[in-house]
Amino acid sequence: MDEERRLMGRVARGDEAAFTELVARYGGRLRGVARRLLGSRADAEDAVQRALLQCYLGAGTYRAEWAVSTWLYRILTNVCVDELRRRKSRSGEIEPPARPDPPDAHLDLRRALGGVPTEARVLLALRYVDGLTYGELARIRGISVNTVKSQLQRGKSLLKSALVKGGAV
Amino acid sequence: MKKDSVDDILTRYFAPDADAGDLAKQVLTAARESARQTSRLLDRISIQATPRGVSLIRAERLEKPASAAARRLAERAREELSEYFEGKRAFFSVPVDLTETPDFQKKVLAAARAIPFGEVRPYAWVAQRIGHPRAVRAVGTALGRNPVPFIVPCHRVLQTGGGLGGYFFGTDVKSRLLSLERVTPIYEGCTSTRIICRVGCVHGRHMRPDNRVVFASVDDARSIGYRPCKVCKPQAA
Repeated sequence: MDEERRLMGRVARGDEAAFTELVARYGGRLRGVARRLLGSRADAEDAVQRALLQCYLGAGTYRAEWAVSTWLYRILTNVCVDELRRRKSRSGEIEPPARPDPPDAHLDLRRALGGVPTEARVLLALRYVDGLTYGELARIRGISVNTVKSQLQRGKSLLKSALVKGGAV
Repeated sequence: MKKDSVDDILTRYFAPDADAGDLAKQVLTAARESARQTSRLLDRISIQATPRGVSLIRAERLEKPASAAARRLAERAREELSEYFEGKRAFFSVPVDLTETPDFQKKVLAAARAIPFGEVRPYAWVAQRIGHPRAVRAVGTALGRNPVPFIVPCHRVLQTGGGLGGYFFGTDVKSRLLSLERVTPIYEGCTSTRIICRVGCVHGRHMRPDNRVVFASVDDARSIGYRPCKVCKPQAA
């Protein structure tokens, strides 16, 4: 933990090697979450780059009470949530990925996830892609642990009914 | 099977994403670029105001506003523009003074103001909206003479086919503004007050960066216990 905070300190002083190390440690996990949230690889890549840019430019505002991963996820989810907003305003209520990837076995799930409200979807992605705890999820979205639990529950029950309706379960 | 160009495409498509070194390098280049562009644009701009509002924004040197009230408005506009160029503002609250503007142009500018942040509309949409569907060219001219660019977002009006059309500060600036708006969020909440604001609201300035969460809609924020700000009224955005 302390080592990561020292690394953030070096990034804040503009140490590019430290930043590269940070990206090596977290880039893959950030991409995983962005990919599951946004559906398309190109959009996910773009979101991760923007999040890392904010992380680099804002490293001076990082406070040691945060775990580095939680802080990075906060920045990344902020970027991804805004991307989801933009899609909604482009296409009314339906939210297909901007550039969908080829069909795969998870298509039903992806379609069903599209019907889950944004906040619940973000929490589901963080919970299932990277196994974050309720406490970490609460910190990332600035809500209470109870709200995290109720949102996850709501998201899951919406998913379930969508999948049952689609005949996938 | 012989290796051919399809193999290359498939290899690239299914390859693990670019390695960390590349990703870090791309981000660092973008960081240098973004700092340069923001300051360059703001340095080029001169602002004229009356006590009623901002009346002219141009690239050449303009006369200083005559009264103290006008100077304060020009100063406020400069601050808001600076935040806008840095991606920290999604609306302008400084008033504009268009009393000297001809009526037709006023209507065109009002229509342009109705285009939401981050979105674009064709010139023909503006013509339709002001009730002169055939006056597309006149709309283009009126927007080209927009006295207060940025604040009245004439840069959000494009050609029907998606072409950029013209822009007072050059099409490169127009396309840069559109990219900027694509990556600027419009709603943000504060985790300690549980209030959701429009990005650029005065409350946002006092918010600690690690208290900031972005939302996709006011309803999303409400669903997890945030309430809309009474100053910037995000539900009306």
